[in-house]
Amino acid sequence: MSDEQGPPVAPERDAEGLVSPDSPQFQVAAKHPQRVERTTAVLFLASLVGFVGFGIAYTQNGSTQWLGLTIGLGMLAFGFAMAAWGKFLMPRGPFEEPRAPMATTKEEKEAFVSDFATRGKVAVERRSFLVKLMGAAAAILGIVAAFPLIRSLGPLPGKSFYKTAWRKGSYLTTIDNRRVKVGDVEVGGVLTVFPESDVGGAISQTILVRPQTTAIVTKPGRESWAPQGYIAFSKVCTHAGCPVGLYEEQVQQLLCPCHQSLFDIYAGAEPIFGPAPRPLAQLPLFIDSSGYLRAQAGYDEPVGPGFWERGGTT
Amino acid sequence: MIDNLFNWIDDRLAISRGGRHLLNKIFPDHWSFMLGEIALYSFIVLLLTGIFLTLYFVPSESSIVYHGAYLPIDGQHVSQAFASTLDITFSVRGGLLIRQMHHWAANIFIGSAVVHLLRIFFTGGFRRPREVNWIVGANLLILGIFNGFLGYSLPDDLVSGTGIRIAFSILESVPFAGSYLATFLFGGNFPGNGAIIPRFFIIQVLILPLAILGLLSAHLGMLVRHKHTQFKTPGAREDNVVGTPLWPTFMTKTLAFFFLTTGITVLLGAVAQINPIWQYGQYYPWKVSYAVQPDWYMGWLDGALRVMPSWEIHLPGHMIPNVFFPAVLLPGITFTVLMMYPFIEERLTGNVAEHHLLDRPRDRPVRTAFGCAVFAFYFVLFGASATDVLANYLNLSLNFVLWTFRILCIVVPIVVFPVAYKICKELEGVPEGGKRKVHNLIVRDPAGGYSTIPAEEYPGYESIELEPVDVEKVESLTAAAAAKNGDGRTEGVYEIPREYR
Amino acid sequence: MRSLRRLLAPAAVVVAALALGLLVWSPASKPAATPGLSGSVLTAATSSNNSAQQSEGKTLFDESCSSCHGINAQGSALGPNLRGVGSGTVDLWVSSGWMPLANPTQQPARKPPLFNRQQTIAIADYVASLSSSKGFPIPNVSLKGANVSQGMSIFAENCAPCHTITGAGDALSGGINAPPLHGVTETQIAEAVRTGPGNMPRFGPGTLSNSQVRDVIAYVTRYIEHPVNPGGNGLGGVGPVAEGFIGLFVGVGLCVLVAFWIGDRTPRSPEGAEEHGGDGPEGGSGGDGSDPGGDGSASQREVEHV
Repeated sequence: MSDEQGPPVAPERDAEGLVSPDSPQFQVAAKHPQRVERTTAVLFLASLVGFVGFGIAYTQNGSTQWLGLTIGLGMLAFGFAMAAWGKFLMPRGPFEEPRAPMATTKEEKEAFVSDFATRGKVAVERRSFLVKLMGAAAAILGIVAAFPLIRSLGPLPGKSFYKTAWRKGSYLTTIDNRRVKVGDVEVGGVLTVFPESDVGGAISQTILVRPQTTAIVTKPGRESWAPQGYIAFSKVCTHAGCPVGLYEEQVQQLLCPCHQSLFDIYAGAEPIFGPAPRPLAQLPLFIDSSGYLRAQAGYDEPVGPGFWERGGTT
Repeated sequence: MIDNLFNWIDDRLAISRGGRHLLNKIFPDHWSFMLGEIALYSFIVLLLTGIFLTLYFVPSESSIVYHGAYLPIDGQHVSQAFASTLDITFSVRGGLLIRQMHHWAANIFIGSAVVHLLRIFFTGGFRRPREVNWIVGANLLILGIFNGFLGYSLPDDLVSGTGIRIAFSILESVPFAGSYLATFLFGGNFPGNGAIIPRFFIIQVLILPLAILGLLSAHLGMLVRHKHTQFKTPGAREDNVVGTPLWPTFMTKTLAFFFLTTGITVLLGAVAQINPIWQYGQYYPWKVSYAVQPDWYMGWLDGALRVMPSWEIHLPGHMIPNVFFPAVLLPGITFTVLMMYPFIEERLTGNVAEHHLLDRPRDRPVRTAFGCAVFAFYFVLFGASATDVLANYLNLSLNFVLWTFRILCIVVPIVVFPVAYKICKELEGVPEGGKRKVHNLIVRDPAGGYSTIPAEEYPGYESIELEPVDVEKVESLTAAAAAKNGDGRTEGVYEIPREYR
Repeated sequence: MRSLRRLLAPAAVVVAALALGLLVWSPASKPAATPGLSGSVLTAATSSNNSAQQSEGKTLFDESCSSCHGINAQGSALGPNLRGVGSGTVDLWVSSGWMPLANPTQQPARKPPLFNRQQTIAIADYVASLSSSKGFPIPNVSLKGANVSQGMSIFAENCAPCHTITGAGDALSGGINAPPLHGVTETQIAEAVRTGPGNMPRFGPGTLSNSQVRDVIAYVTRYIEHPVNPGGNGLGGVGPVAEGFIGLFVGVGLCVLVAFWIGDRTPRSPEGAEEHGGDGPEGGSGGDGSDPGGDGSASQREVEHV
């Protein structure tokens, strides 16, 4: 480029060094201003039509598309018109302004610091006790002000992360408040259940599946937990707490839809893939004499994602 | 009349003192200086559409039976937040357009902020004296992401509710204070006592917008104080700014850009449906949909949650949960390093001078390569947030896709760094590659061969290089003309650009 | 002319992009009214005892199915036993095009069915007749009195975890997909819910009553297959993934294009050619030859490259 071009063209200046209006810097950028003016006029006209169209569309209760297309295209036309005006019909420049370095000089700094220090000295000299007392009072204010701001927001966690509403003998209940009976869930079936006292509970929600018709033993000590193939796990993912609602019947796995952790039902919902670090808690079930599915006991561990106080169980 | 009004105001507020410098403020012409303006204008769109939405939205979790225009939800128990969002969608005239504009503007706001950040980073615009403004900008990005997430959560629909659930688990995972933070904010263990939507609402419509407005003012204030950086164009030096004055040229262009940005947002809101909550339904903690993702700017966090191996740290009586690492530690490190970057670079290079001229990325190969590698890392995480959708569309196994992303997020940055470095080094010696169109003629010689010769430019279309004119010099010219008129009249002065006649 | 072109080109790009969006967007079609079939909600279709049809079913089965499932549907190493599965199961697999497979190792995927309706029913009835246990028969679906609101609620609880809330489908573990629910028939939905094909759980009458299944079918056929999209193009119903893509590449992309047009596109670097032209790779160093004049900032020259 620089082979073909000479040095930058300087503006014409008069005797006092002022820039002459005849300088090329003051010419408009457009080569053919009339054409741009015409185009700009057409665009402004188009925007006018668009805005009027919006008014009509609004009064006629037009669809989102009519409303948006009229005013949107109007705005685009308006914007392009203004941009053409600014880009082609104004002095092409370039212009410049001077810039001083941001860093202040030594003198400026010293003047400021000396003002600050000398006057400050008058204020606090020989009154350090007052300063300390004032600091102490302000600190206490800060601490006590935090109480209503933060502490009042909600209850302490207490035992809420450790306990669900499942108790010994709780009936497995559907969201429609129906107690689940043997036979309600077929082999290959799935159902979300709650304890009767907490139907719809976010922490108590439990997924009941039936992979087979005979008892399932997932781990030693859990021999009686899944009678007749009915097996229930906490539906709260141990990773980030999403409902593990995705039952893959053929491979007998539960998949969490949020981050794709995969749990193996026959292994006691051990995570076999994805980010979940711990198995889903298993709810021990029994079938009572009337054929209702009930919990032998509540969960024997906190359900759901981890938290600092949860302890080191694996 | 106007003159009198101006005089009256000016005598009391001294607008002309200092105001003149504002009129004369020079804005560089290069297009990349307008990226931040996209963010600014989409923020204005967010404010305007947001005000509209607050007039109709009911921030409450209390349950009502919906009886409205959308049949499949008629008769269902929904929260007031959800029902009022449905009403905005189906009953308020223009409500759906505004809602969709608001959501698209949020996507554009954060997207353009990221593009703006990349431009500043790769050209070294963060260097002294602009380190503080860089930090302010990083905080604006963080607040924007937070506010986007909160706004996405407000309708209380199935997809966003799942996001709130995950947010609870992330809060819960913070060592020492996690369970307290979570129960305080939500008013109990999940889903809390009905406080979260009202609280998100007030944070989303008042607290964070105020914070963003404050930081934005500081951001722009510092911009005026520092004056713009500029590329090394002819006439551009460390001690000047070359470009267009605010009044009238830049004002016209930037107003035009406001209308264009808004127009694009309106058109997206008109033709591209976003967040159809009526199809998702009310959130209930036991309901979930597959393919739930957050909005794109949270995607890298969601991707990090997915690719994180199933590790957690067990201590006697305590634990550090898995989600802490990708969802608390990673963003913590990300934004700390982001904000500290100017100081890290100063320390590494020992270059502590003031810089107002920008680098071309190729001239700073290490910085450019580092930036590309880091960006690639987050881009891979971003892609990882769609593992299931990708597996579905590409007909691949989910397990394969996830493992691919686990490997990619380590391998890609390692590969990108040397490649970017090499490209920079190769380009360094090319002074004007791709910069300007050269007019050529292709000539066929009698033997049938072809050769290229530089052509004369078409008369009137020569690209000539002009030397910049000092705006203050122009001002003295107007003063001189007024003096020449003798009576302070400024007639003739405004005729300077002759084409104005 | 050139300035005109420069003015109009970006406008044309923007308009074209949006026009494309408009083209893709199709106005929401009215939910198709489904004629209520006679009879109660889900009843077994009257199985034809017509011997001609039975023999047609046998012929078709022997030709297309028996090579894997065995000549009497007793199963083989290549395909499972079909005795006792019921005509509903057979109908679902054949009418959805999953069966027959060209090759027994292939994944079943939805494709245009090989057999017409009558042939499919004939095969299904033939297979069902091979066993005394009836399994789930081909149902007659009546949507009379269906409650789509109930249906949506049940859909969100039971179907959305795999098929997604918009019915777009998604990938399960191990390369298996939960298929999209567009283009499925009422009968197929009923059969799938009750028989649980592949990885899908089985929802028996104890889990979902007949009327609940009817509600789900009504919701799926009226709203999942014909989504109400007043906001424009539904973007495939895959939520924020598609929205983010559009927001970034169309939204931010168009804005950047506009900025690119309004702004100046040539960051001319004078020192490159004129001052350091022959200097080789270090040509673009920070010092640009213009000294601001002893103001302290320029005297501290950049000493090295970052």
